[in-house]
Amino acid sequence: MKSQQKKYMIEISQKEIEELRNSVKATSRKVMAENIARMKKTSKNRPKAMEYFDEVADLFGKREKEIQAAKESGKKVIGYMCLFAPIEMILAADAIPVRVNSGWYDTSKLGDRIVPVEVCPVIRSTIGAKMIGLSPYLELSDALISVLTCDGMTKLGEILSDYKPVWAMPIPRVKDSPQSLRFWRDGLLTVKGQIEALTGNKITRKKLKSAIEKTQRATKAFRRLQDLRKGNPVIMGRDAMLVNQTYMWDDITRWTEKTEALCDELEEKVRRKEWACSLDAPRVMVTGTPMIWPDNWKLPTLVEEGKPQGVLVADELCSSERLLYDPVGVDEWTMDDMLDAIGERYLMASTCPCFTSKDGNVDRINWILNKIKEWNVQGVIYYVVRGCMSYAMEYTRIKKVLDGINIPVYYLDTEYTREDVGQMKTRVEAFLEMLTARIDI
Amino acid sequence: MITAGVDLGTQSVKVVILKDGSVVGRGKAFSGFDPAKAAEQAMDEALMTANLSLSDLSHVTATGASMALAPKADSTVSMMGADAKAGIFLFPKARTIIDIGAEEARAVKCDDRGVMVEFVVNERCAAGAGAFIEAMARALEVKLEEMGPLSLKAERASPINASCVIFGESDVVTLIHRQESKPEIARAVFDAMADRISSMVHRLGVNPDVVLLGGVAKDVGFVASLKRKLGIDILIPEFPEFAGALGAALTAASKAERSQK
Amino acid sequence: MVIEILGEALKLMVLAGLTIAGILTILIWKKGLATRVTYLRFVIQAAALAAFFYIFTYPIWLLIMLIVILVIPIAFGRFFCGWLCPFGLYMDLITVARKALKIRHRDLPDRLNKFLHNLRYVLLLVFLLLPVVLLLMDPLPSVQLGIVLAEVLGGPFKPMNILLGPIIPLIVPWAGPLVIGDVNFSYPYVQDIIGYTSGIYATIFPLIFVALTVIGSFMIRRVWCRFCPTGASLAVVNRFKGFKWAPALHLDKDEEKCTKCGICKRVCSVQVTDVYEQKGGKIDTSMCMLCLRCVEMCPYEGCLKLKIGGKTIFESRNWLKPSDSD
Repeated sequence: MKSQQKKYMIEISQKEIEELRNSVKATSRKVMAENIARMKKTSKNRPKAMEYFDEVADLFGKREKEIQAAKESGKKVIGYMCLFAPIEMILAADAIPVRVNSGWYDTSKLGDRIVPVEVCPVIRSTIGAKMIGLSPYLELSDALISVLTCDGMTKLGEILSDYKPVWAMPIPRVKDSPQSLRFWRDGLLTVKGQIEALTGNKITRKKLKSAIEKTQRATKAFRRLQDLRKGNPVIMGRDAMLVNQTYMWDDITRWTEKTEALCDELEEKVRRKEWACSLDAPRVMVTGTPMIWPDNWKLPTLVEEGKPQGVLVADELCSSERLLYDPVGVDEWTMDDMLDAIGERYLMASTCPCFTSKDGNVDRINWILNKIKEWNVQGVIYYVVRGCMSYAMEYTRIKKVLDGINIPVYYLDTEYTREDVGQMKTRVEAFLEMLTARIDI
Repeated sequence: MITAGVDLGTQSVKVVILKDGSVVGRGKAFSGFDPAKAAEQAMDEALMTANLSLSDLSHVTATGASMALAPKADSTVSMMGADAKAGIFLFPKARTIIDIGAEEARAVKCDDRGVMVEFVVNERCAAGAGAFIEAMARALEVKLEEMGPLSLKAERASPINASCVIFGESDVVTLIHRQESKPEIARAVFDAMADRISSMVHRLGVNPDVVLLGGVAKDVGFVASLKRKLGIDILIPEFPEFAGALGAALTAASKAERSQK
Repeated sequence: MVIEILGEALKLMVLAGLTIAGILTILIWKKGLATRVTYLRFVIQAAALAAFFYIFTYPIWLLIMLIVILVIPIAFGRFFCGWLCPFGLYMDLITVARKALKIRHRDLPDRLNKFLHNLRYVLLLVFLLLPVVLLLMDPLPSVQLGIVLAEVLGGPFKPMNILLGPIIPLIVPWAGPLVIGDVNFSYPYVQDIIGYTSGIYATIFPLIFVALTVIGSFMIRRVWCRFCPTGASLAVVNRFKGFKWAPALHLDKDEEKCTKCGICKRVCSVQVTDVYEQKGGKIDTSMCMLCLRCVEMCPYEGCLKLKIGGKTIFESRNWLKPSDSD
């Protein structure tokens, strides 16, 4: 340790940290409880299996204690920002992966002390959460994997390195060229070495294989859940989104089991024709900036509690359906092939707008079109938080494509704040009204 | 069948009473601190002109920013939905409907069946809405009603910033200091605002006929600027500020009809 | 005489047994009990091996071979290569051995792969013109040239001809002369020399050939298939407009379901990139052997399909279940 001088973080007194943390934590607890209560109220026939996810959704609850206990028994925790971090490697090294992007509104205001307000609120909120030590998973992680996707994420890693070791994983901006894959694979190997050094566990072929199989099972359960949303709404979109999100911090094996159980219950409901809401509710898809529990839940809430009520049947969010949709496809169970498979799963299959190709980010368009067709989506809400350039800029192209197939899309921009819910409500409800009117004709 | 529409806007509450497809009563009151009370006042006024009582109304639909506060409303409709209904009712060939209120501007695109297919909202900024003209009138020290006629006298326009009411106001002050004439500044104000509105409308595509609704539609200066900017004729109804309430009343009528069936 | 009859009976039994096994596999697969098409392929390859032994004990006209190998692929693509070719089975078994040893294959550079792919047309032309050339060069049987050709391409592997190279039936028909004009397409020179089993060529060339193919296919999957002229036919017609309908049996891709994850490219044993690169619709490539490994490994339901005519007979499924191939 040459110097304790922080590169970015401002000095803030312990007392202020305490006070801020307690007050934000209290608000957050209230918000989480309220969100869950509202989800319970909105959903008719809410599956019983959701109780588990309601419990895990408590960020300051059971799971925090579990990770704490595991840490005391010698396990390492590795946090990551962006879903490009190779979870399989973390699991293979017997460490716990947690995603640390933050969804607290209040902490984004704290982040303003370090970066200007123009910066994406997801970044500001994560910085703010770190300032006051709010996020249990961020606090518990021994190291962070920072994937250099968008500009915000790149600098976020730099800022957080004031506190923890941060391993930067540079990502090529063009996916489908051989040199990109080589570059990305080298990055994976570096991180592999770093993980091994931190945990002291070697990532062997057998261990990596069983880690891959673990996430494959999770993907299978995850896909089963998304497939159930293709038909009449048997689960509300918010419930499904919560299930998807809990993957970011829950124990993966347990999460898989519980999701399978949820799917069993939902299949039973389909058989008994117990739907979660009115079958007339317009089927909406959300795409754009990630929405992160607990605060950043306002759009799904507005859609599913709106008048008229809509139902989210699909999304293209890296905090929900993109988390696990793509599996690691291993051809031959050799170390090299597994590494290639992991590399391809994270890089190539991603639809993140930080990429481009000969044909632009055409993968994202295909994803959206496929969801619209298979999930029978009637309208798309394009959700962007202020400061999220790449998503904002891709809107024009997506709109052109969706206009071509006569699917209405609405661009909704917002901030990490509770104050604009009223205005958002007007717009979301007008959009839902429009969808209902279209369905009537 | 008699129905009513209540438009609880940010500045005033408007009520329209509709009897078998024609307007029989209108009422207006300033929102103030108690929109619910204002709504009742406006309703009373409308009922009085129509010579009806509250019990005659078979369905009341509310719209506007504070529609949730409407007393005795049977249903609600979004502002964009109400605009589309009113626009098509007033001008059956309308495809693009612009509604500029005190603090919000909206544009709605309709298809040939009169169904709203797309809309945009001037997001979270009063610079493209009536409040902007009001603030600029204040800076110019002229009455709001005089702004329009004044601007028509201008021969050329000086550019000002319409990204923000506050910055706009300081721009106007600069122009005053440069001793530009008042008509020219007034026209600059309208041009800047029309610029903002037209870029909003261009996001939907300008499909004739274009209809302008809302209180700002009464301002001749703004209408002239917007026509220049869009390069297209704009249709304006007789009582543009009541369009939202009219749309709500039309919604109420169709809802009542449906429930009768 | 008795031994011959017994031999015939044994061959028939092997053939029948393998065919039954194949049919059973298809039935099981149709019921969705088995998920891996690779296993099914092994069964069919084995059955085909038996069938070839059986067929080649009879005299075959060169013309029939030409029809089978050159005309059928127009409609069925290189289905022969992926599912029937005994030499393919030989290389696949070496691949299985390599997998068991947990050694990774090597990939050829894409450009070399494409070059070899184009080279096959030249090779095909050479082999088809060889009798004419030989006749022109030396009207009488030439021992020197003939030996080399025979030893390299077939001679000492007489009973296993078909195993070592699908081109051999083209060159060395076992019987049935075909004479058109002055050119004897039955390769009389070669046929004469097949009986020639002594000499240094008889030991060295086969050894080199076997060693090269074993090492080659151990390191590179299906190494022979990358330039094998037998599999050249499909692309020949497919390259012309108006023949796009020709491959009735072909792969089809649903653009919207594809996430470009790259799995299809990585698992392909002959490094076909078209499945990955092509936007959607019918996959036009003559490199593809329709082994269906990509369809099997594609994790997106209904993204890759095997179609015959317009009908889907096999499509990618949500396979996501830990592989049992370790």
